[in-house]
Amino acid sequence: MSTQTTTAGHAATPAWKEWILTTDHKRIGVLYLIGSMAAFAVAGLMALIIRAEQMELGMQFVESGTEYNGYLYFHGAAMILAFLIPGLTGFAANYFLPLMIGARDVAFPRINAFSVWLFYFAIILALLSFVIPDAPDIMWTGYPPYSITTSANTSFYVFTVHMLGFSSILGAVNFLVTVIYMRAPGMGWNQLNIFVWTTIAAFVLQLIFIPVLAAAVTLLLFDKYLGTHFYDPSAGGDVLLYQNLFWFYSHPAVYVIFLPAVGILFDIIATMSKNRVFNYKAAVYAGIWGIVGISGIVWVHHLYISGMPDWIRLGHMVTTLLISIPVGILTLSLWGTLYKGAISYNTAMMYAASCLYLILLGGLTGIPLAIPSMTLHLSETSYVHAHFHFIMALFSAFALFGGIYYWFPKMTGRFADGPMATLSFWLNFIGVNVTFWPLFIIGKEGMPRRYWDYEMFKDAQVLGYSFEDFHKVATLGALLIALGMILQFINFIWAAKNGKPAPANPWNSKSLEWTHTASPPGPGNFGDIDVEVDENWSPYEYNNK
Amino acid sequence: MKKLLSAMMGLTGTMMLSGQAVAQDIRNPAAEWEELWDIVIFDITIIGVIMAIAAVFFLIRYRANSPDQVGSARKLTTVQSISFALIPAAIFMADDFYLAAKGWTVWNAYRNVPEDAMEVKVTAYQWYFEFEYPDGTLVEADMETPIKIPVGQPVVFRMTSEDVIHSFGLPHYRVKEDIMPGRQTYVWINPIETQNTAILQCAEFCGEAHSQMANLIHAVPQEEYDAWIAEVAAEG
Amino acid sequence: MSRTRTILTTALLGCALAAFPAKAQYGGPVPESDIDPAVFHIDEKEFLGTKVSKDFTLIDEQGREFQLADKLGKPLILVLSYYTCDGSCSVINQDLNALLDELEGLQPGTDFNVLTISFDEHDNLDSVGVFREHLKMTEKMSGSWTFSTFKNKDDIKPFTDSIGFKYFWSPQDRTFFHPGAFMFLTPEGRLARVLYALNSDPQDIKFAVFDAKAGEFKPGEAIDYALSLCYSYNYAEGKYTLSIPLFVGMGALTVGVSSFAVSVVVFRRRKRGRFSS
Repeated sequence: MSTQTTTAGHAATPAWKEWILTTDHKRIGVLYLIGSMAAFAVAGLMALIIRAEQMELGMQFVESGTEYNGYLYFHGAAMILAFLIPGLTGFAANYFLPLMIGARDVAFPRINAFSVWLFYFAIILALLSFVIPDAPDIMWTGYPPYSITTSANTSFYVFTVHMLGFSSILGAVNFLVTVIYMRAPGMGWNQLNIFVWTTIAAFVLQLIFIPVLAAAVTLLLFDKYLGTHFYDPSAGGDVLLYQNLFWFYSHPAVYVIFLPAVGILFDIIATMSKNRVFNYKAAVYAGIWGIVGISGIVWVHHLYISGMPDWIRLGHMVTTLLISIPVGILTLSLWGTLYKGAISYNTAMMYAASCLYLILLGGLTGIPLAIPSMTLHLSETSYVHAHFHFIMALFSAFALFGGIYYWFPKMTGRFADGPMATLSFWLNFIGVNVTFWPLFIIGKEGMPRRYWDYEMFKDAQVLGYSFEDFHKVATLGALLIALGMILQFINFIWAAKNGKPAPANPWNSKSLEWTHTASPPGPGNFGDIDVEVDENWSPYEYNNK
Repeated sequence: MKKLLSAMMGLTGTMMLSGQAVAQDIRNPAAEWEELWDIVIFDITIIGVIMAIAAVFFLIRYRANSPDQVGSARKLTTVQSISFALIPAAIFMADDFYLAAKGWTVWNAYRNVPEDAMEVKVTAYQWYFEFEYPDGTLVEADMETPIKIPVGQPVVFRMTSEDVIHSFGLPHYRVKEDIMPGRQTYVWINPIETQNTAILQCAEFCGEAHSQMANLIHAVPQEEYDAWIAEVAAEG
Repeated sequence: MSRTRTILTTALLGCALAAFPAKAQYGGPVPESDIDPAVFHIDEKEFLGTKVSKDFTLIDEQGREFQLADKLGKPLILVLSYYTCDGSCSVINQDLNALLDELEGLQPGTDFNVLTISFDEHDNLDSVGVFREHLKMTEKMSGSWTFSTFKNKDDIKPFTDSIGFKYFWSPQDRTFFHPGAFMFLTPEGRLARVLYALNSDPQDIKFAVFDAKAGEFKPGEAIDYALSLCYSYNYAEGKYTLSIPLFVGMGALTVGVSSFAVSVVVFRRRKRGRFSS
């Protein structure tokens, strides 16, 4: 391991250059964190514009439907591709996975650096779409023929996907090799942190499925700019094939986000309740790998209303419902980890506890959507919109923020907890409920997604209130979240410099990133002596019963 | 309205239970949807409440008394580990198959078009729907000009698109299906009572005026329908 | 777009010319120039999914009356033709005969029916008989392919109009001009797919039958059905073409896995190098 010691060594190199040219996995992790938070901020601003526009009937904030569609596109694409996936598999995996397995760096540090560069290029390209005259307006799904016939610039979408996809594949390869070959001597597969397991599961999904998405959008590009007819039904193309290829990746992509979030949740809960993970092997082999195994055969539930043959829709109903088994086993393990624990509360644990609520609400509201006959009505309504925000966006974002509070002492040597953290947590938690519950309710009565106006529903009443009233409540909730997030960011920046100093292992965790490194860890992570563990070691072994 | 629907549904339900349902019975997917919704919501509420109570109980009951306290859960034996995986898996699977069977039944109501359904052709454009009635009458509808269908007469919409993908979303009748260029899709509805509020909306993103692509579908008495279609035919 | 149909029309016209040597010797302008091929275009967008009208009676080659509905319940290949010319103008029927002979996997009669109806009001039992002689129908087809005429000649025009089938009698050429279309009806009698004579492979026939069954298939047909998913109907050419994106997508599945394999090799080699040096 001679490569990484050189990176932080030269005092003469200016700090910015050191950061840009770094191959240290921790710094790369921080770069991912900064980039993904920037994407989160911009995409969150888009969400506020969207909510503000929907607050009242008619057009108030945007100039045209196309402008609104551009914001919707950016919100969806940036939140998923540039915030959640890089935040979880970029930041959290980069910073903590090598620490957790006792490795001094990843297998290919320079490729790792190249991945984060690609990520930044992609973000810059995505942001450039605000300055070009014809910003993409094709939603993050980019369905043809619209994405081909639109006058907007679909190529921005395609190239952004290419760069992020390439970045993810490089990251996936890197981390899989790292976990397979660079675990501390003595560390067996059943001694890994759950977060390590979920991360490699997510990377396996990325590795297998992302190239399919890249291929699908490339053909989109050919259709739009080179005059081919891959998706054009009038010339032998298949209009539905893109949707199939897209969701063949993009449903597993949900697990690329969900799984690392679950992993963070397990690590926070096990540490804070000083308890071993309940039924570890079931959680890993049935839960995590069960999800991976089933993830490739459920995508048609995104196409329940797309005219697919009936037998495929019914077949995927069964496979989709069966997702409840691995997810249920993971949930039981989460609950069981609390059982007979010794729970201490702090901001990280509050986020973790709220995730238990979000996984229940988001997961269970997905069950109607697994049934095609239910989906014939619910599809493309704000019910779907609220469901996937709860399970994918909010659950994962809350787990990620919980993880940041949990690991903040490790990264900075200071606590981020405090009144401001607590206040921002409650604003966020109340905010998401105020925002998305109304959308469930009007969604069931037919409020469509992706509408900037809902004039046709001006006379519709739900529980004695108009759709507009529900939208107003939702917009209020979005403002609460915005306030909470702003306070949270201020808190993070303030705490990084002025927070209460933290010892190396403030939560008394048994996991290697706490027990064997300083806060923050220096170059090479573990000082002079390589980490070794014995066969009885486990990151979750607090009692010997 | 909804109460009436569910009451009628209850009635059909009992009919099917008591006597053998006659094959010609025309089902009402919208009512069956509501019934299934109630079942599914009941199902997930039970699971949700049990799990939520357990979580809240654990979170309160097992607070640490001192910073040094550690959890006291025991290691699971192999038998316990396997049981804690297999038993929940069996329960979830049983619930899955129960819901799948219920869902399948309602699916058949949605997909099996009654023999005597009136055929209306739908062509979707950016950003309006065009309807062709069995007699060849063409109607271009918008929010000001509704289309009408006779009450008590099942209607099947045969749909295709001339440009991009649209979707035929009809929340009043709890149904939706995409409309694609180069492909034919269908939706059928059973208008069992008159109404003048059913909104047909585009439910698949189709561009600039996607949120304005809508019109009303009135279900009216046969005489009113006949008069309307004659009038439209005369104009066209 | 209409290239195929032009070829097709030319072919049909060719038959018509061959059938009337005198006309050919006359050496007049090839009537191709008079005919706009677009006339024979069955507007699929307009007519796919149409439920064909069934309230008329047909007469089969034995003189028995039957209804169109009797042939439904399974996919039906419907051919509209006429019997009076001396054989070569039945090129559609001959082509279909050859295609069905080569067709494997699906059994005419069990998996689908074939029905030829004459749109010529002058056709009768005699002309059907002569026509069948000429056709030299293969063993395989007998019993599952019915040749029929309308009982009531007034039903002809409304029926052909209802599915967008256009034809006309050219007195100059003493022949009918009509599209060489194989129309695939669903078991309930909707127009599901149109293929064209001299433009199709046996495989196209198979896929169109699957299309007519709207996604239903028997266990024994699983492989054929899976194969049909690799193709999509090409409206421009009136036949099935390979779905390239599907293969690009499937090929892409190997990219990640192979890049993983390469990096494992590289990493192990590097590790070994480090230890030996």
